Amino acid sequence: MALTGRTGLLAALSAIVVLFAPEPGLAVAGLLLLLAALVVVDLLLAGSVRELRLERSGESRVRLGDAVQVTLTVANPGRRRVRGLIRDAWPPSARAQPRRQALDVPAGERRRVVTTLTPSRRGDRESAGVTVRSVGPLGLAARQGSHAVPWTIRVLPPFLSRTHLPAKLSRLRELEGRNPVLIRGQGTEFDSLREYVAGDDVRSIDWRATARRNDVVVRTWRPERDRRVLIVLDTSRTSAGRVGVDPASGDPSGWPRLDWSMDAALLLAALAARAGDRVDFLAHDRTVRSWVSGASRTELLSVMVNAMAPIEAELVEADAEDMVAAIIARAAHRCLVVVLTDLNPAALEEGLLPVLPQLASRHLVLLAAVSDPRVAAMAEGRGTLEEVYDAAAAEYLRSGRRRMTARLRQHGVEVVDALPEQLAPALADAYLALKAAGRL
Amino acid sequence: MTPDAPAPSPATGSASPVTGASASPAVPGAPVPPPAGGAASASTSPRAADIWRRWRGTLGVLAVMIVFVTATVVLSQPRPGGYLDPEATAPGGAHALVQLLRDQGVDVRPARTVGEARALAVPGSLLLVGRTEFLADENLLREIDSLPGDRLLVEPVTQALQELAPGVSAGALTDVKSRAPECEVPAAVKAGTVMIGGTSYNPPRGWTGCYNGSLISGAADGRTVTVLGSGEFMTNRRLAEDGDAALAMNLAGSRPAVVWLVPSAPQFQWDGEQASLQDLIPAGVKWAALHLLVAAFLVALWRGRRLGPVVAERLPVVVRASETAEGRGRLYRSRKARDRAAAALRTAALERIVPRLGLAGEVTPAGVVAAVAMRTGQDAQQAGAVLYGAAPLDDAGLVALAGDLDILERQVRDS
Repeated sequence: MALTGRTGLLAALSAIVVLFAPEPGLAVAGLLLLLAALVVVDLLLAGSVRELRLERSGESRVRLGDAVQVTLTVANPGRRRVRGLIRDAWPPSARAQPRRQALDVPAGERRRVVTTLTPSRRGDRESAGVTVRSVGPLGLAARQGSHAVPWTIRVLPPFLSRTHLPAKLSRLRELEGRNPVLIRGQGTEFDSLREYVAGDDVRSIDWRATARRNDVVVRTWRPERDRRVLIVLDTSRTSAGRVGVDPASGDPSGWPRLDWSMDAALLLAALAARAGDRVDFLAHDRTVRSWVSGASRTELLSVMVNAMAPIEAELVEADAEDMVAAIIARAAHRCLVVVLTDLNPAALEEGLLPVLPQLASRHLVLLAAVSDPRVAAMAEGRGTLEEVYDAAAAEYLRSGRRRMTARLRQHGVEVVDALPEQLAPALADAYLALKAAGRL
Repeated sequence: MTPDAPAPSPATGSASPVTGASASPAVPGAPVPPPAGGAASASTSPRAADIWRRWRGTLGVLAVMIVFVTATVVLSQPRPGGYLDPEATAPGGAHALVQLLRDQGVDVRPARTVGEARALAVPGSLLLVGRTEFLADENLLREIDSLPGDRLLVEPVTQALQELAPGVSAGALTDVKSRAPECEVPAAVKAGTVMIGGTSYNPPRGWTGCYNGSLISGAADGRTVTVLGSGEFMTNRRLAEDGDAALAMNLAGSRPAVVWLVPSAPQFQWDGEQASLQDLIPAGVKWAALHLLVAAFLVALWRGRRLGPVVAERLPVVVRASETAEGRGRLYRSRKARDRAAAALRTAALERIVPRLGLAGEVTPAGVVAAVAMRTGQDAQQAGAVLYGAAPLDDAGLVALAGDLDILERQVRDS
């Protein structure tokens, strides 16, 4: 049960009666008893909360940064009207609005209550129950009760880098030859023969075909299709570090490396799917966290965001040996393995470097990492002593990353090290460059 | 209040990752999390029966404990009261003596105030006055003086002594110990040795002193007045020692009735005309204030009631990735690690400068310095000091070095 402000007001006002009563002690006892009786009557006359039937409907998926409406249908099968307040409770990061709403359901009817969620984090948000406060006809007291009405909202990665997709797709079309420029070197797979037009590279003239026909014939090339791309997301402790600015909430404490990596992975997946390659996805720290394989080209993105949504960075050291074993077990043929991790010299030296030759000998490995704009800003610091020391520390870390990059390149590994906002386009460019060079 | 709010249930699981390969969607159009729409709601509030079932054990134990503690306290507690209190069973009380007197047929009439004593005192009775420090008021003492009957004054304070036994003066203070009577007072002679002491009095003419002056007795205003330097022998603690009981019985039981005036709190003469502020407030205001207190409590209940439980959530860690860099910078600063800071800055600058020099073959410091000097037109020795020199000696040197490196780098880039 719960009291209302009216009860307190009534009690306070009746103090005036006590002040002028001939028998104040009796007046106090009498008035309080009367108030108690009124409260009890009100409670008895209030509509039952327990008998309410609640149902949910609405969206169950939302992209981070967007709002989603959850509808709650409150049916009142009881004999009395239920009037009062309702609160549809969600975890704080779901940012449910409004927090409490007025409710008025006459006996035997239903009412709809809409709550808008604007989640501030990726992942699954589960409803924390619905609480109804049913005020009696006198407005003095209320019955209160909670119902569990399960519902889960899956908050998907926002895929902010989709703005880069058209530009990268037009680059891809250039490679594929749908654009008029068709020069040798833009692909290595033989496509077709066609007549020579002025401007074609003379080196691409196919003399044998020219001899068979009376025209000069050139070969056209196109990039390879049906190659495999395996995107590997490192979800270990290094992916928990926050860099840049959280694009969803503008939080200056930053966005986890994991989320930036996911963004880059989604752009790469979208691009590779359009380019006709098959994309698989693996999330790994000490064990396999998620594995997407064999999704059709049209479904790939939705399956991937769905798989990514609940993944959180785990505060454990990555098990690179297990990761390489998992990759080798899943990728039978040669493919492009894109590892999204951090270029942390200490972590890589202990983890990935010793097992990298195993992987690099079978697959083409591309390592993509988010660099920290804050460290870059620190390295520029000059003037005061503090800034110079900070700059020295930042330069020390950047040298470590550069040396690690050089060592990885010696192993034949491609490295993309870019600032958060530039990682996705840089990774897409690296992919396109590999494709153009026919290295897939 | 019915505690119908369920325990807060933490909404965890939001951070639980998909574990294992099988849990992940490998098929298009795949498992989406939502539970089926229209899942029946279930009330999570406990019913009255549930609440009763949950709390009845606790309430039962609590009730048993309260009953047990109350019984123990009531049965075993010594009856309260101070020194020579006729009801007190504590060591300092006089309940034992009063009981003995009553057994012997003496009418003991306890009085807490002077007014009560006046109502109880009759001619031919004995008035026992103790704890006179609570009666230090001239009017009260005069009123006591006007009461009929003999007097037995126990440890009177100076003011009381002057008022009730004029002519008696207090002497030295002595220890309470076993003493012989050494006098002719029959009550003392019959009792023999007694644990007594305290103040010894100088008996005026016509009075008798016993126990080294700790008991003096004489006639004043036609009544017998006895003054005791110590009432210790009358207490529950001492009554069984020596001839204590005998002396106490002889003194207090010398008349058929004894008015036992031992106040337990300071007494004041009440004129009945002064009234405190409290008495001036009408009763209605006090009750109205109480009523308002109840109203405030009701308002507190209204404001304090939450609409449903608090929702807990597992939050992710918030670690800025740049923390290691910032920490290293602060460490350099606190240890004044100019050598390491300078080395880091030089290494970084060289890593950017050397690729621009287009050096063939092995890269040596001398080669780099020569190339830089040629490109920038700077003095080779100076460039060498900036790029490969000794660590700066002071903080200003480090700041200057950072600036020099920047300049050199810019010159190489722009040349």
